[in-house]
Amino acid sequence: MKSFDYFEPHSLEEAVGLQQQGQGRGCWLAGGTDLLVQMKEHVRQPGLVINLKKIRGLDDFHFDSVTGLRLGALVTAREVETSPLAHQHYAGLARACTDFASIQVRNRATVVGNICRASPSADTLPPLLADDASLCIHGPRGTRTVALEGFCTAPGRTILAPDEIVTHVLVPAPAPGTAKVYLKHGRREQMELATVGVAVSLTMSRGRCSRLGIVLGAVAPTPLRVPTAEALLLDEEPTRDRVHAAAAAAAQACQPISDVRASAGYRRQMVEVLTRRALVQALEVLR
Amino acid sequence: MTAFSIIGKSVKRNDLIDKVTGSAKYVADMQFPGLLYGKTLRSNVAHARILRIDASRALALPGVKAVLTHSDVPRVLHAGSPHPRSASLSCDQYILDDKVRFWGESVAVVAATSEEIAEEALGLIQVEYELLPAVFTVEEALRPGAPLVHDLGPGGNQVLDPVTCQRGDVEKGFQEADLILEGDYEGGRPVPAYMEPNVCTCQWDPTGGLTVWISTQTSFMVRGIMAEVLGLPLNKVRVLVDHMGGGFGAKQDLFQTEFLCALLARKTGRPVRMEFTREETFLGGRTRHPARIWLKQGFKKDGTITARQARIVYTSGAYGSHGPGVTNVGTTALASLYRCENIHVVGSCVYTNTPIAGAFRGFGVVQAYYALDIQMDEAAVALGMDPAELKLRNAVREGDVAPSGHPLIGHGLEDCIRRGKEEVGWEALRSRERDEHGPVRRGWGLGCEMHGSSAYPGIKEQGNAIVKMNEDGTVVLFTGTAGLGTGTHTVQAQIVAEEIGVTFESVSVVHGDTDAVPWDIGAFASHTTYMGGRVAQMAAAEVKAQLVARAALQQAVDPSQIEVRDGVVSVKGTDRSVSVREVMMPKRGIPAPQFVGSATYHPTKSYSFAAHFVEVAVDIETGAVKVLQVVPVHEVGKVIHPVAAAGQIEGGIQQGIGHTLYEDFQIDLKTGRSLNPNFVDYKMPLFMDMPTIRTVLLETAPDPGGPWGAKGIGEDPIVAIGPAIANAIYDAIGVRFHHYPIKPEQVLAALQEREGGAQ
Amino acid sequence: MNQVINLTLNGEPRTLMVACHRTLLDTLRLEGGLTGTKKGCDVGECGSCTIIMNGKLVNACLVLAVEANGAEIITIEGIQRSALELHPLQENFIKYGAAQCGFCTPGFIVAAKALLDENPRPTIDEIRFAMAGNICRCTGYTKIVQAVDETAREMQENGREAL
Repeated sequence: MKSFDYFEPHSLEEAVGLQQQGQGRGCWLAGGTDLLVQMKEHVRQPGLVINLKKIRGLDDFHFDSVTGLRLGALVTAREVETSPLAHQHYAGLARACTDFASIQVRNRATVVGNICRASPSADTLPPLLADDASLCIHGPRGTRTVALEGFCTAPGRTILAPDEIVTHVLVPAPAPGTAKVYLKHGRREQMELATVGVAVSLTMSRGRCSRLGIVLGAVAPTPLRVPTAEALLLDEEPTRDRVHAAAAAAAQACQPISDVRASAGYRRQMVEVLTRRALVQALEVLR
Repeated sequence: MTAFSIIGKSVKRNDLIDKVTGSAKYVADMQFPGLLYGKTLRSNVAHARILRIDASRALALPGVKAVLTHSDVPRVLHAGSPHPRSASLSCDQYILDDKVRFWGESVAVVAATSEEIAEEALGLIQVEYELLPAVFTVEEALRPGAPLVHDLGPGGNQVLDPVTCQRGDVEKGFQEADLILEGDYEGGRPVPAYMEPNVCTCQWDPTGGLTVWISTQTSFMVRGIMAEVLGLPLNKVRVLVDHMGGGFGAKQDLFQTEFLCALLARKTGRPVRMEFTREETFLGGRTRHPARIWLKQGFKKDGTITARQARIVYTSGAYGSHGPGVTNVGTTALASLYRCENIHVVGSCVYTNTPIAGAFRGFGVVQAYYALDIQMDEAAVALGMDPAELKLRNAVREGDVAPSGHPLIGHGLEDCIRRGKEEVGWEALRSRERDEHGPVRRGWGLGCEMHGSSAYPGIKEQGNAIVKMNEDGTVVLFTGTAGLGTGTHTVQAQIVAEEIGVTFESVSVVHGDTDAVPWDIGAFASHTTYMGGRVAQMAAAEVKAQLVARAALQQAVDPSQIEVRDGVVSVKGTDRSVSVREVMMPKRGIPAPQFVGSATYHPTKSYSFAAHFVEVAVDIETGAVKVLQVVPVHEVGKVIHPVAAAGQIEGGIQQGIGHTLYEDFQIDLKTGRSLNPNFVDYKMPLFMDMPTIRTVLLETAPDPGGPWGAKGIGEDPIVAIGPAIANAIYDAIGVRFHHYPIKPEQVLAALQEREGGAQ
Repeated sequence: MNQVINLTLNGEPRTLMVACHRTLLDTLRLEGGLTGTKKGCDVGECGSCTIIMNGKLVNACLVLAVEANGAEIITIEGIQRSALELHPLQENFIKYGAAQCGFCTPGFIVAAKALLDENPRPTIDEIRFAMAGNICRCTGYTKIVQAVDETAREMQENGREAL
C-alpha cells in the first residue's frame, strides 16, 4: 500500500469537510475489506483515508413493522446474518449476508460498503433491490434519500459524489404474505463470489402474486431487476408454467459476460434455474 | 511376530507444540537487525528480448539499497531442479536472462528498507522489450517452424528426447482383442498452493560465508547449486530449514530468488529477505504438468488386457524443471497398474511460453492413471462387467515387473480393491435402486493407483543418518530429511526408538542445518519413511550394537543374551535387568565412550497401492458435482504413525478433489497472461466442500526396503481420487469425462448434448 | 503519516508507533513481535492471519493498524492458558493430527476458539461453517473437525465436573 493520511472524524460534517479539503482524493473507510484489497492491488491509491467508525449513529440497526429496516453505514454483514429480525423479515438479505466471504470478513464488511462498492456480483444488492430499498445520502448540500435502483451506474461506479456518504440503507417493511429468497451460484459452498445471484421478494394475497421483485446479480454491469419476468406473475396465480415462463424471461433479460468464473451462456442458463428455484422456494415458504 | 512398543502408535508429534502455540518460526518470522526486503519485477509479456532496463529512478528512491538486472548477475546456465544424483536434468535457466519466456518471469530485483518501498521501486523500473512470437499450447509448440522457447536441448520445443516404454507386441495384442477402446484424455494445470509462500533470507558473514534460511524440501540441493553458481566451496554455504509451510513437491526447485537474494545481500552487505506474494506463488511457482494422453487398449471378452498403446505429452512451460523426471515416471507408469504383456508407450514433454511446471505430488502419474483407470471403467461398461471385478482381474501383483524394472512384492492392489468393496458394500451399491426424483443424481466410482516410494531409477537415491547416544541413554538422530509438515521427524524418531529399544521421548531429532546433519537428497518421492526411516533404523542398529556390547560386558554374558526394550536392558532367561541409563553411566569413574552410528542407504524402490471408493452427487440442472464420501483403502506395508498416515491420505484427497473438480490455473492463450493467480479465482475445495473420509490402512505387502516393511504414502492418495470421481460421475449421470477439472458448465453442456442427441 | 496507537495485545497493554498505511497483520508481526499470525495471501482469502479483535474474529490483513487503537487483540500467542498449559484446542490439534505443516494452524485455532466462545457445543456442520474462511492445504480438514468437536465435548464435560 502507498502511504496516505488518515483521519477519524466524529461527525458527518467533519468527514465531508475532510474530503473537501482533500479535494476528493479521499476514500471512506467503513469495513475496509474491499478498500484495503484495492489499495494493496493499486486499484485505488487515495491520498487520505477517512474512517467513519467514530461517527455516531452510523451503527444504527433498527426495525419497525411500519417503517421497515434502517441499517447504518457501519452495520456489518455478520450483524445482519446473526439477527433473528433480519431472518424473519428480510430473509433474502440475511442469506446474502451469510453467503459471502468468511466470518472474518463479514465481521468487518458492511452492508452499505457492499452497496457502494457497486460490484456486479455484490451479494446484498439483489435482495435489497428486490425489496425496493433506498439510501440516505449525506453531503455538503445536506441529506437526500434516493432509491437504490439506479444508484449503481456501472461496475464500481455509483451516483455518489466524492464528498457524499451513504449513511443508511432503508428497506420497507414487508407486507403480510411476503417471502424472500436469495440464491447464489458459485463453485464452492462458502468463500465465493457469485457466478449468478438471484433475489426474489414475493407477496401473495388472495392466491395471487400482488408484489414481486426479481433481481439478478453478476449477469449485467449492475444488478438487474427484471420487470419482464415479474410481469408474467404479477396479479396472477403462480402456476408452475408461469413460474417457468418468468424464469425463462429472466434468462432472456440478463446480459452476462464470459470470464474466468463462467461463460456467458452458462450464466444465462443458471439465471433460469436459479430464478425458478428461488420462486418455487418463496412459494413453498408461503404455503 | 515381534510386538512393537512404538511403531504403529500415534505418538505426540514433536513439531506440533511449536505449531499450535504460534512459536514455530518459519523463515518469514525470523527477525534480523538491518534486514532489507527484496522484491521481484516480473515480466508483463510472455516472450521477449529485453532491450533496455532503466532502474535509475528506482535507485534514486530513498530506502532503495540495490537493484539487480540480468547484466549485474553471473551468467551461469543451470537446472531449475538440479538434483545431483538425477539421470536427466534440463539445464536451461539463468539467474536472470536477457530474454523472458513467460508472463511473470523475473526481470529485475530490488532490495529496500521496507516492503512498501521495494514495491514502489518496482514500479519505477522501466523495461523495454522486443516482443517475440510465443507458443502457449502443445499444438502451437509442435507446429513445424514454431518459435522456439529455447535454443538448447533436442530442439523443436522438446524438453527431452521422447521416452519409450515397450514390451511384447502391441499389434499382435490388438489382433487378439475382442474389444478395442481408444480415447484422448487431458489433465489441467493445478498448482500446489502450499500455505506458506516461497521465502528465503540470505546473509553473508565477514569470512565470506553465506547463510540461507529457506523454505525448501531440498536444502542440500540448494546448497550445492548456490555454491556452484556463486563459485563458493560447500563449507561456505550453510542452508537452514526448520519449519516450512508445505511444499507438495514444488519446493524442490530453485526459484531464482535464492540466487538473487544472496546477490542482493552481498551487494548491500545486509541480510535480505525475499518472500513471494500469493500471486507470485502462481506466476513464479510451479504447476502440475498439463498433459494430453492418447490411450488405446485391447481386451478379451473375459476382461484380460491384450495390448496397451499410449502417447503422453506433458507441457513443461517455459523451463524444463522436472519435465524429464515427470515424463519418465508417467510414461513407465502406464506399463503397470493393470497387467498387460504388450505395451508401447511414448512420452514427451514440450516447452511453451507459460508458467513453469514442476514436481508436484503424484509426479506425472496423476495424469497417466487418470486416463488408464477411467478407460478401465469404460471397458467394464463395454464388456458388461463390474469395474471392480475388471480391475481386480487385471491388478498387478506379486512378481509382475514394476515400472522400476523390479518384480512387485505382494498383492497390495487386489487387497485394497477387495477390502474397499467390503467397506462400502459394493455389490449392494451396484444393484441399488436409483432415485431419479429431483435434480440430484448420485453415483459411486472406484479409482485405483500405485506409486513408488523413492525416485529410483530416475534418481540414484541415497539416504544418510547419524545416531548418537548420550551418556544418560537418551538419543539424538541427525537427519537431512526436511519436515514439510508430514511428521517425518516424529516417524524417524519412532523408528530409532523402536530399533534401539528406548522410549520415544528419549529420542530427539536434529535436522535442517546443512552444516550439522549428513547429506540428504531431499524430502520428495514419498520416500522419507521408506528411505529416511530405513537409514535411521540402520544407524540406530549400530548404536544398539554398541549398547548391547557394553551391557553384555557389564552383565558378563554373550551379547546375544541381551535384550533392550522400552529403555530397559535385560538378560534373556533371567530376571536381571537394568535401565539403558544405568548401562551408560560411568563405571569406575570412566564415562561410556560416545556411541555413534551412521549409515548410508541406496534404496531401489517399493510400491504402495490404493483403491478409492467415492460417492458423488450431481445436480443435473446446474452441473455442480459434490463429493459426498470417500473410502480410501491404502496398502502401505507397515504403518508407523496411524494419525500421520491418515493425514497424508485425507490431505491428498482434498487436493485431488480440487484438481478433479475445482482447480484450474488459467492462462490467456492470446497473451500468456495468468488469469487467476489468486485464491479468489483459483478455487480450492474448502472446509464446507469436503466429504467425509473413512480411511482404511492395510499392511499386507510389506517391502523389505523400508523399515519393518513400511512404504510411502505421501503421493498415492492424490492419484486414485481423480479417476474415482470421474467414474462416480459416470455412474451418476451416464456421462463420461476424459479431462480434469470437470467443471459444472461442462457437466451441464454434456448432459444437454446427450439430451439433444436423444431427441 | 505515522500515528501512536495504544492497544491490549494478549492481555498486555502496548503502545506502538505505526505507519497509517500498514496493516494490523504487518504491525503485529514486525512491531508486535507476534509472528504466530501468518501472511498466506494478504487479501482475506486464506484465514492464516485470523485474530480476535474486540471479541470478533477478523483477518488482520484487512485491518489497518491505526484502526486497532484502543482495541483488545488476541492472537495465537494469547490462546495458551499459561506458559506451561496449552489450551485444550491446542492439545487436541496435536492429538488428532489437525496440524501438519502448521502454517494455517494458528488461524484455525483462533477461529476455533472464537467459535467455542460463542457456541460451546457446535454441531459438525457449525464447525465447518465457522471455519470456511480458513484454508488448510495439508489435512483435508477431517482431523480439524475432529479436534474441535472433541475439544467442545471435553470442555463441556470438564465444565460440568467443575460445577
